[in-house]
Amino acid sequence: MKLHLGSYLSWYVPQHPSRMEINLDKPILLAELVAQLKLPVEEIAIAAVNGTLVSVREAQISDEDIVELHPPNGGG
Amino acid sequence: MAYGTSGKILRIDLTQGSIQVAQFDEDFYRLYPGGKALAGYVLLNELRPGTDALSPENVLVIANGLLTGAPFSATTRFTMAARSPLTGSYGESEAGGYWGPELRMAGFEAIIITGRAEHPVYISIHDDQVELRDAKILWGYEPEEVQAKIRTELADKRVRVLQIGIGGENCVRYAAVTNELRHFNGRTGMGAVMGSKNLKAIAVRGSGRYHDHAHDIKPISEIGRALGKRVKDHPQAWDLQVKGTPGLVGAFNTGGFLPTRNFRQGVFAGVDNIKWEAYEKILSDRHTCYACAIRCKREVKVDDRYQVSAAYGGPEYETVEGFGGYCGVDDLQAIAKANELCNRFTLDTISTSSTIAFAMECFEHGLIGLKETGGLNLRFGNAEAMVKVVELIAKREGIGNLLAEGSKRAAQAIGGDAHLYAIQVKGMELAMHDPRGKVGVGIGYSVGEYGGDHLYTIHDTLVANAESITFKGTEPLAIAALPPRELGAAKARNYTILENWTSFGKVVGLCYFGPAPRSYMQVGEVLAVVRAATGWEDVTVDDLLRIGERATNLARAFNVLNGFSRKDDTLPERMFQPVEDGPMAGASIDKEEFQKTLDEVYRLKGWNPDTTAPSRDRLRDLDIEWVADLLGV
Repeated sequence: MKLHLGSYLSWYVPQHPSRMEINLDKPILLAELVAQLKLPVEEIAIAAVNGTLVSVREAQISDEDIVELHPPNGGG
Repeated sequence: MAYGTSGKILRIDLTQGSIQVAQFDEDFYRLYPGGKALAGYVLLNELRPGTDALSPENVLVIANGLLTGAPFSATTRFTMAARSPLTGSYGESEAGGYWGPELRMAGFEAIIITGRAEHPVYISIHDDQVELRDAKILWGYEPEEVQAKIRTELADKRVRVLQIGIGGENCVRYAAVTNELRHFNGRTGMGAVMGSKNLKAIAVRGSGRYHDHAHDIKPISEIGRALGKRVKDHPQAWDLQVKGTPGLVGAFNTGGFLPTRNFRQGVFAGVDNIKWEAYEKILSDRHTCYACAIRCKREVKVDDRYQVSAAYGGPEYETVEGFGGYCGVDDLQAIAKANELCNRFTLDTISTSSTIAFAMECFEHGLIGLKETGGLNLRFGNAEAMVKVVELIAKREGIGNLLAEGSKRAAQAIGGDAHLYAIQVKGMELAMHDPRGKVGVGIGYSVGEYGGDHLYTIHDTLVANAESITFKGTEPLAIAALPPRELGAAKARNYTILENWTSFGKVVGLCYFGPAPRSYMQVGEVLAVVRAATGWEDVTVDDLLRIGERATNLARAFNVLNGFSRKDDTLPERMFQPVEDGPMAGASIDKEEFQKTLDEVYRLKGWNPDTTAPSRDRLRDLDIEWVADLLGV
């Protein structure tokens, strides 16, 4: 699957990548991926799978998916 | 005893050619500690209501904030204020860069400019040596050349130059002012005010230090150093440094609230071509403002289908999106070129792009045609036509002469339904933030003193989750975590507090990207610095909010005296209509609920809900009862 970490979410991951490719052997909950990457769930304001907004806690993702996560942001 | 300022203000009458120095004392400074507060005080006292904004009688105030020039991140900003030629209201715009700190080093806190010079002039300030110099040979030249010519003439390469380009000379109603070629007082047309006064530039050089007037520099320097080291350790500050504001484009699109095609849509099909990952490919450098460790300024360079000079910096989020999705353009080279042209001509990129998007919608509805556009096929997405129109606006040629008046006036001239496509409040075009996705921003667009700006308040999205670092940064402000689209009494309370906090920043010269919740400087650190700068040990967070509230009340009083009332505190009709597509499809603002929320905002502010005039009681509470006498309340 392809993961896009918007804005300051990439700060939490070593090397701070904005984009990552992750192999998923089987579908998992998005919340599990967030936990594995040690992303603070309270900093995720927008989560989308293949362009559709989802709940981090409820969404299931698989290897073909494109996942976007963005923190709270505004003003610029 | 030092209290953070020299207390010196320059008064320059361009008609008479006179230069005087005025002095204020600590009691005055306690109430009006610079920036927006000082500007509001001067304009209320010295500018007759109803004055034509482009006449010699308009008063232009340029004022540093209390902290401008401190050895501290995000304390670089200064205010330019006058009656706005775009809105007719109190007009104001802040800029960072290097010019404000240099004025402080020269020993002055503010400049009050009146009259009109007989021929183009520029002001030269070198410490206490101030003179008017002939600018006839500079008129018509672009900022890069003007800056070089002034530095050569004054034989000083370190002179900081604040100036207008031809957009200001031609009194485009939303002309900006630039310093160091890449920092801008962008909004409300302060460049047109300079142009109307035949004032091309203000060159400043100072040999003083911020320390000269600070009560106790040690805590300021210590916290400043700590903040410098902490940039990379804080996610928000790190993000501003690495990606800057252009990083917002992708997030807003995913969320469905990226203003697209004149606020008709919330997602842009061409977003991949303009968001941060595309921007990085034309990024040539990162820059900063005076003493700021955040380094959020971008620089771009293009030498391909378009040639874009790196000298004029790079587009911020507002500009990428304004000339991008808002005009339906997914060509980042063209967007960068439009930004560069705006900076060369000193045009506000938000009002320029928005006015072009307005014209595009008029064109698509047949309200203007090829005859009016001079043969330009001004449809959404036509990048080449968009770039051409920027130049026409600055030169006031062809369709550009109409669009140089701003979308509200242009709509009145075009007639028919054109007014429905002018997405503005009080005559100023909305920034690139959809209030249907964050209604607090919409409250700001509505009640803010100069219309459609995005920096009256903290955006709802930042304070929606009580567990987020953004919300936690606001804890000393005692607001509630609320959903971004929720209206009502709680949102009204949040708005008034966060407006006071943001207004305080404009008084003391703080950049929006310094303090919490938009960035990493904590409220307590800001308070500590204010205390150290002034020696006012009794100052509290509530006092900081009162400083902001006082400034907002001065500006509101100015508007009431100039005929503004509740009917002007509105939103474009489109905001009450549903977003056409994307994750927010169908979302709109409930008009009745919005009005009820405004009622509560006025109640909390102590303003009359019909006239919007502040009450005498509230003005007395704010220690500015003299304003009630002016208002007759």
